[in-house]
Amino acid sequence: MVMYTINRILYLIPVLFILTVAAFSLVHCLPGDVIDVLAGQEGVVDPAVRQALEHEYGLNKPLYTQYFIWLNHVLHGDFGTSQVTRRPIALEIFKRIPATLYLAIVGTIISLLIAVPLGTMAAVKRNTAVDYAAQLLSLVGISIPEFWFALLCVLFFSLYLGWLPSSEYYSPFDHLGLSIQHIILPAAALGIRQAAITTRLTRSTMLDEVQKEYVDTARSLGLPEWKVIYQYTLRNAMIPTLTISGLQLAQLLGGTVVIETIFAWPGVGRTLFEAIISRDFPVIQAGVLILGVAVVVINLLVDLMYRVLNPRVRLA
Amino acid sequence: MRQATQGRDLELSRRAFLAATSGMLAGAAAFGLASQAEAGQRHPKRGGTLRFATRADVSGLDLHRNTIYLVSMPLAAINQGLLDLDQKSEPVPGVAAAWEASPDLLRYTFELRHGVLFHNGREVDAEAVRWNFERMQDPKIAQPLARAALENLKATEAVDKYTVRCHLHQPSAAFPADVVYYPCALMAPDSVEQADLHPIGCGPFKFVTWDRNNLTEMVRFENYFETDTEGNSLPYLDAIIGRPKREDGVRLTALRAGEVDLLDSMAYADAAEFPKKYAGKFQTWNVPTVGTSFILFNLEKGPFTDKQVRLAAAHAIDHEAIKQAVFHGTGEIAHGFYASASPWYADGVTAWPAYDPDKAKFLLRQARAVGVDVVLQTLPTPPYMQQTAELVQAMWTEVGFKVRFNIYDEVALQQKRRERDFHADSSAASYRWDPDGWFSRYILSTAPTTKIYSGFQNERADQLIAEARRTADRKKRLELYAAIDSIVNEELPILYLQHLTLLEAGSMRLQGYHPSVSGAFSTRGGGIRTAWME
Repeated sequence: MVMYTINRILYLIPVLFILTVAAFSLVHCLPGDVIDVLAGQEGVVDPAVRQALEHEYGLNKPLYTQYFIWLNHVLHGDFGTSQVTRRPIALEIFKRIPATLYLAIVGTIISLLIAVPLGTMAAVKRNTAVDYAAQLLSLVGISIPEFWFALLCVLFFSLYLGWLPSSEYYSPFDHLGLSIQHIILPAAALGIRQAAITTRLTRSTMLDEVQKEYVDTARSLGLPEWKVIYQYTLRNAMIPTLTISGLQLAQLLGGTVVIETIFAWPGVGRTLFEAIISRDFPVIQAGVLILGVAVVVINLLVDLMYRVLNPRVRLA
Repeated sequence: MRQATQGRDLELSRRAFLAATSGMLAGAAAFGLASQAEAGQRHPKRGGTLRFATRADVSGLDLHRNTIYLVSMPLAAINQGLLDLDQKSEPVPGVAAAWEASPDLLRYTFELRHGVLFHNGREVDAEAVRWNFERMQDPKIAQPLARAALENLKATEAVDKYTVRCHLHQPSAAFPADVVYYPCALMAPDSVEQADLHPIGCGPFKFVTWDRNNLTEMVRFENYFETDTEGNSLPYLDAIIGRPKREDGVRLTALRAGEVDLLDSMAYADAAEFPKKYAGKFQTWNVPTVGTSFILFNLEKGPFTDKQVRLAAAHAIDHEAIKQAVFHGTGEIAHGFYASASPWYADGVTAWPAYDPDKAKFLLRQARAVGVDVVLQTLPTPPYMQQTAELVQAMWTEVGFKVRFNIYDEVALQQKRRERDFHADSSAASYRWDPDGWFSRYILSTAPTTKIYSGFQNERADQLIAEARRTADRKKRLELYAAIDSIVNEELPILYLQHLTLLEAGSMRLQGYHPSVSGAFSTRGGGIRTAWME
């Protein structure tokens, strides 16, 4: 286990190196640069001013030089400053990570809380009303666009019932009560769609599992049905579910721009979007790199979880 | 000697200037501009915290590097300039209690109000103003609008502690409008190191915290110099909390859910229905702005180099349809740059070609341009630009143009403009307090912006713009600008479409809020300064 973990971490080095090259190269493929943004609506930059600003931002150096300078700083833990706000990247991106992480984790938890029991019940009570209802619900969940469902939630729970706030973010470390109130709608909007996919997956893997011989053996030994299902079958069936949930969580870290916009949630997605619009290269590079690292780490954690769920899985 | 006051000939003798200055100071005190020593007490009842939802947020906090005013209205409340704006967006005394222009309009002398403080306690003196103007002129630092406003400023002289003299390159009657708080906000010279993290201005509210696209907090500046008519110090509010919410619907929902007290604007579709549907539940203000949408033609490349083709394009456009479909009947159709609510609205402007699709088809045939390719471009936001372009595309297609419509972000769009790689552009411009700010940047042939926009070259228009700039008489200036707008409507470097309005909405608890013609949230005797929460 320890060797496996060390090996996986070593694999991360080339992956992250490729990621830095990709992040840097793709960003510089965008037309224009931050100086065009600073020129604003007037759209005119005096050549002498452009030269001076390019020098100040280091944009006059060859791209590979810019890359290695940036990489050197990153390796020393310095992501630099935003070229637009002139504030440290730590304020621009790192400050957003907790909000995004919070939303993604709660969304994934909501998804699992719905999907696992629903998918399991649908499999156990196959071809009954419960199964049909679960399949219908998951089909509806997959079909409804995320933004539309989010707007429905706001209209119903915020405006009609007045139970929950429609937008804004509060840190759980500063205002726990307010924070819980404000996370419910955006996390549910994210989680319910994810749940629709995970429910179908859980159902199908459970159906596979319940037909295996060890289940018959367990039943013939007289084990109670709940124990057969929840202690043995579900545990094995959870491996693909966990994989998908891990991937979904990783996807949510950078892919919640729509939900962040609807709920005025100050996450990484919106920050990256704004940075792309304003050609704020250091912020985009830092954001892509950090999200990439997060995805890789989540995948590693998912792999390690396999062994916890099923000790027969050898990690080597 | 000249004295810049609204609607008055500027010719004055020195004695008259001194008399007028004294009079203005007295008047200013009476109208709520007492000096620091005379500043009033806090109003015993008015206060509260305003939660304010805005469409956008600023890119950064440095008052000189970033466009603050139009982007984040809450943050604009930390700003103040040498001159202030009144409810009609006319320059009025601000930090400067009075000013005079030299007879040749090459020098402006500003008398500063005594005891005006920055938020860190430093006094706003002549040296601070000089430092600010010089920093705003530095092309490596200042944002383009501030730089453009001060491009005619040759030197700033601190004559004594409370007297600033500005020397201009060319005579200009427009200079007072260039030194109001937008775009020329004053910041404390000794705060430059913290300008990107904690700006220190001299406006009615002090900066507390800013979390981009999430939260802005400000508190009342207890030493702000303005007072109400009863002598109570302004502003009344204790604090402002800014909540940027990009989507129009999200802001409106937050207002309806009671999560904010005021929103800066709503979608035109909502603006048509909301006031009626929620009458008695929410307050609304339909605020005309100094903003106009237009179609810009590239006169240097492509089919619109031919005036006949531009005329055909203009005849094809149904202004009323755009007003109804895009702006839901709000606002007014533009015949010149300034709307009727503006003091710079000009009567007697020659109209642009009227909607006549048959004539458009005839002109297009005559120009042998039927089926000619047209590349129309615009920004994705604000939505009205894109929606207008979509309608224009349909109207032009109907008369025989073959229109390709592209949407770019700001940087890509500017690149296309610089490379002259477009034929027409659905665009808008706003917040030019003085007409010189519009005509000398978008119509004057030598202006860098004109060169990358239309590329318009018209000797007569250039002469009129120059003449208007050096004309002190306001009535005469207005006539000159009307003549220029007539040339614009005849030659069609741009086709004016619609004067923009803002529909603001607020809770019934918000009292005393009076937005101005510019949509300004911080104007003398109005806006946020006179607002309070019940």
